[in-house]
Parts: sequence; structure tokens; C-alpha cells
Amino acid sequence: MYLSKRNRITFMVMLLVMATVLGSLCIDQDSEEKTASANQTKPSGQESTLRYAATFGPEGTLDPAVKWTGWYLREAGVYETLFSYDENMNLQPELATKYEQVSDTEWRIFIREGVKFHDGTPLNADAVIYSLNRVLDDNNTRKGEYDFIESISKYSDSAVTIKTNSTYAPTIASLTDPVTSIVSPGTDLNIAPVGTGPFKFESYTQDVSLSLKKNDNYWNGTAGVDRAIIYFVTDEMTRLFKLESNEVDIADGLPQSEIAGLHNNPEYKIYSTPTLRTYFLYVNMNKEPLNDVKFRQALNYAIDRQQIVDTALEGVGGTPAKSFFGSMMSWSINDRIDMVSRDEQKVRSLLTEAGLEDINGDGWLEYDGKPFELNIKTYTGRPQLKPAAEVIEAQFESVGIKTSVTILDKGALETDLNNKDYDLSLYAWTVAPTGDPDYFVSKHFESTGAEAQKLSYSNPEVDEWIKAGRQTMNQTERKEYYDKVQEQVLDECPEIFVFYQNSLVGTNKKVAGFKQYPNEITFLTKDISIDE
Amino acid sequence: MIEFIARRLLLLVPVLLLVSVISFSIIYISPGDTAENAIMNPGGGVDRKAVEEFRAKTGLDEPVHIQYINWMGRVLRGDLGESYMTGVGVSEAIFRCFKVTLKLAVVSMLVSLVIALPLGIISAVKKGTVIDDVCRLFALAGVSMPNFWQAYLLIIVFALTLKVLPSSGYGDGGITYLFLPAVTLGTGYAAVTMRLMRSSMIEVLQQDYVRAARAKGVPEHMVIFRHALKNSLIPVVTVAGLNFGYLLNGSVIVETIFSWPGIGNLIVSSILSKDYPMIQGCVLFIAVIFVLVNFAVDISYAYLNPRIRYENKN
Repeated sequence: MYLSKRNRITFMVMLLVMATVLGSLCIDQDSEEKTASANQTKPSGQESTLRYAATFGPEGTLDPAVKWTGWYLREAGVYETLFSYDENMNLQPELATKYEQVSDTEWRIFIREGVKFHDGTPLNADAVIYSLNRVLDDNNTRKGEYDFIESISKYSDSAVTIKTNSTYAPTIASLTDPVTSIVSPGTDLNIAPVGTGPFKFESYTQDVSLSLKKNDNYWNGTAGVDRAIIYFVTDEMTRLFKLESNEVDIADGLPQSEIAGLHNNPEYKIYSTPTLRTYFLYVNMNKEPLNDVKFRQALNYAIDRQQIVDTALEGVGGTPAKSFFGSMMSWSINDRIDMVSRDEQKVRSLLTEAGLEDINGDGWLEYDGKPFELNIKTYTGRPQLKPAAEVIEAQFESVGIKTSVTILDKGALETDLNNKDYDLSLYAWTVAPTGDPDYFVSKHFESTGAEAQKLSYSNPEVDEWIKAGRQTMNQTERKEYYDKVQEQVLDECPEIFVFYQNSLVGTNKKVAGFKQYPNEITFLTKDISIDE
Repeated sequence: MIEFIARRLLLLVPVLLLVSVISFSIIYISPGDTAENAIMNPGGGVDRKAVEEFRAKTGLDEPVHIQYINWMGRVLRGDLGESYMTGVGVSEAIFRCFKVTLKLAVVSMLVSLVIALPLGIISAVKKGTVIDDVCRLFALAGVSMPNFWQAYLLIIVFALTLKVLPSSGYGDGGITYLFLPAVTLGTGYAAVTMRLMRSSMIEVLQQDYVRAARAKGVPEHMVIFRHALKNSLIPVVTVAGLNFGYLLNGSVIVETIFSWPGIGNLIVSSILSKDYPMIQGCVLFIAVIFVLVNFAVDISYAYLNPRIRYENKN
């Protein structure tokens, strides 16, 4: 090949540049001796600091009663609630010790004695009433979720009575939501959070970091680290880089594509658990042939959930779903039912029964003799939605249903759902933020629920079961109602459940005592320590 | 001169008015609902009653022109309002985010000029040689590399492999944290600026007065720096000014990857949630920035090209 002298030199210079760049990439990444002081954010001395890269953080306020700010502050170990869930989704007392049901509409809650807030003030009935009333305040946008409460009154210094408007079984579970975090009365919570948790607030820079110090007077034993710093990092690759460069010890929301590589690296521990976040398809039963249960069941059997997990989620991002309640919930019927596997024969016979046939032999099914296309809408908010929707599209097309996927932003999609302007819509919901089964079923399957209206779903029997479940205190009886609801929904398919999102957390090997909670609202606990 | 400045600043009024009306209207007709976005549960679902109450409280249920007039009324009293999403004051948020972006923009601009100007000049002077080719290849690479890819690459090299810099974060805002994002942004703009510098310089070096200077016996470095440079800088300054304006808007990609709480992220997230007060505040702010930057560019013309100075005097 003839190149002029000038071009040859140019070519060699570029080769040299590329070689240098590629060569530097191959340098061993594990040599920790090279860690520069720029990467060390640990203060000197014997203090141990846990550094955590989180995806989300507070947005402008630190007040736990404002929207979902309480979630972030509970994850930081600052605030606690009267009751909470352990890592196996068992309800446990936290700032309360027990509860008594005095009557159908009256609950007595006994408060743990000897607990002090971070500023030294005592935890007592007054503080509890103050905290809960902040949620019921007229200006609180979330007060609607607690309008079942008629009044909260003091029974004694260490007990309160909650009166409800009607028999409401989810009452105690509702007190696990961090919006009901117990705060010290009389402090400006917007500037300096004062809670009871294992970590005390030190400083906060919006969208940058939150610094915490160990609470030496924590009622449940002191934390295993002296300090903690939470960095708010929205990009998942950046969170991974921070872990790999030793700028943080724990990173949550790791990128799916990198998990396999990290598993093989002895420097890091990977924690993965299914969460309460279920991905499912809304089905617009207002349209034909989606109003035909046979067609919906055909769609259900056309989906290969394991394939979606293996491809769109790279085998690690999720777990195939059965019921909308994941297996970690005691309310789930998952252990009694089989996974719906893709069954092409069943699909084809159901589709024929529903009136879809390939008359003109072009490979695509027609409905009522006319060309037929199904559209799946989803939104951009979560990275797993688009690939999952595209795999479902391919799975539908392989049984002859011409399908397309439309991506919108969440606000626009909500408008379409409200206007019933959709065929199918792939969404992600946390199905039980308070661990109680009533939340999801009352919104999605009770005919008065906002989501059920988007589906045009109304089944009077299901309505009865949901209402009864809400008003039954006996746990066994209650479970029966929710079992029936799950069975009916899984048969009727007003929604088709695809997978549960897995929470992917990585720590370096020095971190001990970390546990993953399926409801994702507990993260930093006193049990975490760093072994130097 | 005063008249010149006054006339330019007066331009701000129609610009701000036009810009705010257009953006308000566009956001209004775009899909999505502000109140729903503000009340939305991150776990899924929306409380209908809370949405209605929110609408009534913030006046979102009023017709669009009333909403605009209400907003304009507050602005004229110096109040940009509070974000519908977070309740934080708009001016407070813009100020906080802009400080961060300003720092990054200035350093990125410096990086891009430090790379682009010398390379452009050398490339022009050594036109047709290997050096010229290498510089032009570099320019091509800079323009072709996507921001995020370059950012990840730099992080892998400097933070993970060589371990000399932190991978991301604003930190104390010092040079170690500034370096990678500034280089990422700077090299992208440097590429374009370099090519402009080169072509502009080449054209100027072909002018008659340059030949005359050479014929006079002026040393080559003086020909380049004393005679040619100022004139060739005019188009470069125009583009650099525009680029600086864009940098001041914040780069969402770089800010996200490096976790810099800048104004780019603020603008984009407020648009996605249809947060009217925040969007309007940001839009006004950006319009002011652009007008001021253009103004600065115009002033620099007067310095670079004396003929413009005399025209103004007349």
C-alpha cells in the first residue's frame, strides 16, 4: 500500500496514541497500593466511616412528613417508626413495643420506654402524637392516605390510642411508612433532623451528600461505624466506579451488565434480592379484543418471563413473577401456584377462540377479518422498562400478533391511561409500601380504585373480598380473602404480571453486617461495620 | 458608548417577554400533568383528591393566560416563586445550581481555548504538513466522541486505573473534582473551535496586508501574532461566545455522570415534571445569560477590529 511520507508519519503517530490509550486500560485495576490520597475521604484517626453511594436522596427538604422524604432519612438511619418490617417482611415493633386492639375501631399502642431523641429529649406519647398529627395536617399532601384515622389521643405517658372511622385492618401496617417517622417536637425539621435512629444528622448538601454520626445513645445498641456519608449519585455506572475506586464502601442500584464481572472479583460482595417492586402490564379492557378473557389469557401464556429476565434483565435484574405479591410477602399465594410458562399451543388455541386468525396467510393474525396490531406503551423512568417491553413485543410477534412499543415520559403516559388511550402498558409499582395487601388490590382491582378504572375492571365478587379483607382482623380469615383475589386476578388477567425487580447492592469485602430489605426503606443499620 | 450599552440592555425586555410566553405555552400544551407529577408516589399511583387540592392551591386549574399573568405579576415584584415539585424557592435553586455550572463552564471554556487556539494556529501555519493532519484528526475525534463515552473513558483511565483523581462528585469544588468533567466538556468544544481557528487564520494569512508585512521583512512570529491573530479571532470569538452560552446552560450528561448538581439537571428535570415556576425561572435566566454573553462578544469585536469602534462612534 503506497502512502506518502506525510501520511505514513501521521498514521504512525495515531497508532502510537491509540496504543498508549489501550495500554493504559490494561494496567491492573486491583492494585490498591496505588490509591492516591485524592480518593481517600476517610478522616484520619481511628474513626471508621461508612461511605454509601445512593441513587435517590431528599429533594430540598429533610422533613420526613413531606412526601417521601421520610424514606430517604430512614434509609440513612436517622428516623424510625412505631413498627417496621425485618428483612423477611415480618412485622416487628420498633419504637412501639406492642399494640392492643381495644375494639374494632380502637387501637392502643405502647411506646418503648427509655428511648431518647438525638437531642436528648425523651420519646413519649406527646412526641408520637405530634409526629402523627403532622401527617394528618391539612397542608400535608399525603394526608389522604391516613384519613381512616379519626383521632389520636394520649392514653398515658407511654401509650397512645388511635381511633379509626371504621374497621380498618391495615392500621398498624400503615404506621411502618416513614412518613409517620417519630420526630422530636419543637425542632425545625427542615434544617436539622432529630430522630431516634442509629445515626445522627451532621450536615447536608442538596444533591451532593448527607453526613451522619453514630448515635451513642441508640436504644438498640450502638452502630458498628463511627460515621457515615451518603453520596447521591444518579448515574448507575458512576455508582459502580465509585465503588471500584474505593470512594465508597457500598453502592446500591448497580448496573445489570456489570454484576457478572463483580461476582468474580473477591474484592466485592454482591447482594441481590427480589423487591416489592412488580413490573406488570395494564390491559385496557375497554377495547376489543382485550375485553375477551381468552385473548388476555393468550397474552399471559405468550410471555416467557424467564426469557425476559435472561435477556432484558441480563439474568440478574429481576425474578419472574407469579402473583403481584412477591414470594417474600406472607400474603402471597406464590408457594401454592405454578409459574406460568410460555405455552405456544395453548396460546394459539386461545387466540383462535378469541377470534384471531391468519386469514390472508401473511403470518400476522387478523381480528374480525381486519388487520390487527397491539401497542405496548411504557415510560422512560426505569431502565428495565424499555428492554422488557421490547422482549414482550418479540414474544407476541412470534405467535403472530403484530406488536409495537411506544415510549413516553411518565406524565404523558398517565394522561393516556386516564383517557383509556392505550392497549397494554408496562408499569412498575411498589405493591406494598406498608407491607399490607390492601394497598395494591384496593387501587387496582376494587372497581372504585383509580387504577381499576384505567383498566375498566369491575368484578363485584372481587369487590366484596377486598372490602371484607380490609375489615377483617383475624389474620387467617384475612389471608383467605386476599388469596381469592389473587387467584381471580391471575385467572381473569386484567393485569399481567411479568417480574419482580431485584435490588442489586455491592459492597467491598471489608463491609460486614449488611442486610437487604425487600421494601428498600431500611438500609443503614447499626449492624453494619467495616473490618479493617 | 453608554448609548450602545443602554440600547443593548433594553433588548432584554422584548426578549424576556417573548421567551417566557413561548416556553409557558409550550409546556402548557405538552402532554403530562403538573399536579400529578407533584403528587405522584414514587412507588406508583396518585392520590386523586390530593391532586385536586394541589391544583386549587397553586392555581393550576385556572386558564393558561390567567396563570401566566399571575406568574408575571410575581416576577415583576421580584419573586420567582417556589418549585411545584420540591417547594424550594426558584431563585435559590437557580443560584445554587448556577454557581456549580458556572465554575464548570469557565474551566471547560479555558480548557477548550487552551487546546483549540494554539492547535488551530499551528495547524494553519503548518498547513499541509503532518502536524496539520494530526491536529485535524484530533478535531475529528473530539467531535465524533459522544460525551458520555468520553466521560466514562476518562473515569476509567484516571480514577480506576491510574487512581490519581476521584471518579465523580462535586466534592469541595476543587481542581481534582473539576478536572475530568472540564476536560470532557472542553475537548468537545475544542474540536470545533480549533477548526474554526484554523480556517479563519488560513484565510487571514492569505490577505494582502500579511503579504505586505512579510515583504517588509517583519519576522514571521510577529506577522502571526501581531498582524493576523486579532482579525482571525473574530469568528472564533463569536462561536466561543455561543459555546460559552451553551456551557452555562449546563450539560445534563456530564452533570449526571459526574454527579455535579448543576443547572442542566435542574432545567431538564423541571421540564420533565412540568414544574412551571422552575422552568420559567430557568428560561428567563438563560435568556439573560445569552443576551449578556452576546453583548460581551459584541464589545470584544470593538477591541479586535477598530473599524467597528469608529462605526459606533458615528
